[in-house]
Amino acid sequence: MPPRKDSKAEKDKKPRKPKPCPICSQGIEYVDYKDLSLIKPFLNERAKIKARRTSNACAKCQKQLAAAVKNAREMALIPYTTR
Amino acid sequence: MRRYELMLIIPDTLEEEAAQEVFTWAKDVLAKQGGTLLDEAWWGRRKYAYEINKRDHGFYGVLDFHADTDTVNELERQLKISDNVVRYKTVRPEIRVRSNA
Repeated sequence: MPPRKDSKAEKDKKPRKPKPCPICSQGIEYVDYKDLSLIKPFLNERAKIKARRTSNACAKCQKQLAAAVKNAREMALIPYTTR
Repeated sequence: MRRYELMLIIPDTLEEEAAQEVFTWAKDVLAKQGGTLLDEAWWGRRKYAYEINKRDHGFYGVLDFHADTDTVNELERQLKISDNVVRYKTVRPEIRVRSNA
């Protein structure tokens, strides 16, 4: 068997381009809790808020998004949890 | 004066017309307290994402207005007292609105 290359180390060498924030790049300044089509993609199937590394949102947007999700939950627009 | 946005939920135990009256009443309270309505939206009967007070539907309405802190406090106080309002939420959308001054 050929010596297995440490794939993890190799991966780490590659320079990774940070993905652009999906909210900023759309030119959205304010995340509205009523805009469900904007918020929904940032929830996983259990209606939890996606982590920053999954959502690719920048710090500013992620923070606004989290607040918007919480507001929307209070107004029963999106569930707190499913199942 | 600041810009506010208020969403209120009216129970579906009321008829649609009665619910709209509650919405109009909220607007009246706002006007009486010296707020200026910018925009309003009646979403109609909508399904809740979860059960509230053993019900799963409610009427939604949104008000967009300019008002003072006291006006909002008074409006919220009245909404809190009212039996015809399930929930309400006031937010200050952080959109930079240029004042006409």
